[in-house]
Amino acid sequence: MRRPLVGLVLVSMVLVWGTSAFSEILRGYGPASPTELFRQLAGVTLGDWPTRGREFIQLVPSFKRYFLAVILGVSGLFLLHFLIFGPKRFSRGEQLVPYYGAVTRLFHWIAALCFTCLFLSGLAVLFAKSLGAGSFVRTLRVLHLVAGFGFFGAIIPLFLIWWRDMLPASYDLSWFLSLGGYLSRKKEPVPAGKFNAGQKLWFWLATVGGVVMFYTGFYLYRFEAPVATLRTYLIIHNVLALILTAFFITHLYMTLFAVKGALKSMITGRKGLEEIKYLHPKFLEEVGP
Amino acid sequence: MALMKFICDTERCIACHGCVVACKEGNHVPVGINRRRVITINEGQPGERSISISCMHCSDPPCMAVCPAQAIYKRDDGIVLVNKDLCIGCGYCLLACPFGAPQFPKPGPFGARGVMDKCTFCAGGPAPTFSEKERRLYGQNRIAEGKVPLCAGMCATKALLAGDAEVISKIYAERVARRGSGLSPKIY
Repeated sequence: MRRPLVGLVLVSMVLVWGTSAFSEILRGYGPASPTELFRQLAGVTLGDWPTRGREFIQLVPSFKRYFLAVILGVSGLFLLHFLIFGPKRFSRGEQLVPYYGAVTRLFHWIAALCFTCLFLSGLAVLFAKSLGAGSFVRTLRVLHLVAGFGFFGAIIPLFLIWWRDMLPASYDLSWFLSLGGYLSRKKEPVPAGKFNAGQKLWFWLATVGGVVMFYTGFYLYRFEAPVATLRTYLIIHNVLALILTAFFITHLYMTLFAVKGALKSMITGRKGLEEIKYLHPKFLEEVGP
Repeated sequence: MALMKFICDTERCIACHGCVVACKEGNHVPVGINRRRVITINEGQPGERSISISCMHCSDPPCMAVCPAQAIYKRDDGIVLVNKDLCIGCGYCLLACPFGAPQFPKPGPFGARGVMDKCTFCAGGPAPTFSEKERRLYGQNRIAEGKVPLCAGMCATKALLAGDAEVISKIYAERVARRGSGLSPKIY
């Protein structure tokens, strides 16, 4: 009576072991644990999102706020400046000095037109919601692309024409320290050559920064890079755009309001002698009176 | 209210790509665009596993947070949809998405990016339900018909589950409990 019982137990033990071993074989041999498996899958599907994604999705919506702050802040500052110190006026009467060549002016105006388009259409993308989004902003995105190529085409000749005049000089620091003499009503000569230190800074930002904007923007348009790289490019593109916006508004204020006649010199190519004497005195030393 | 979710059972998925084809055919997704894709790890090696991924209809969608046009919205049942009339095609959603779900068909000859296209959970879009516009822009509206999404309906091994989060997670939990982890020490 005992023997068959032992046999039955043995047979059932073999059966149980056999089926479990068989299911082991079917399951295949793999990584030790499901946790390890999911870690591997997450590495492929998520990339670097778990470490950098949170920052990205917090930063991107706040760009709208930063742009609004920069635009309103810088314009407000200049409005205050205009009210307190007023514009600088120089007589354009007796003698005009050739200052910008025809080619320079042509490329400058192409760059100016393209930059304005880039500035406005770029803002349109960020503020798409307020503009009603849809096909209107989609069209502006195409304009952003076209203007980007135009601006890139215009800054290359401008760079070649101006880079020598834009190299930093010893007196640039003192120009910055006195803020170009803009914080006073008095007309006093400021330390500046053909271009003052502020113009030089704007030049390097617009050309070198412009190339960076073009490069990152091109990839953001084509989307042919890993997503992690594109995230970095988007942040570079937006932060640089923020800086360029501040300088662009400054440039507009200086030419349109702060220095009367500055706009005329970029149209006709000639500056009044008095303006040069006060704002670009070293230029006269270089060229001779 | 039910919360719609996908679960892909990696122990069952055999990487047949049936879900990809079903979605593409059923929703007339443009050439070169897949709303769903299958990812395989350790291919041909021990421990080969596959997973089918599309929009995961996140509870707190990152794409929705970064969209400057507010074209992405979440329905009451948890399905995340894009309004193609509002989308400006900036692509911020793709950069924010952990799963690479947003897709950008290129309608123009110069490779200009069009509006975003993604998995709709087969729930159509903001256009009137069953309208011609909805079918053309977003594909089928199977949720309104009371059916599961095409991919899950097609799945031969039933690896891909779609539906109310509570129901499908219960199914998945039962499966896991039944097959075990494969790690338990042998007691016999």
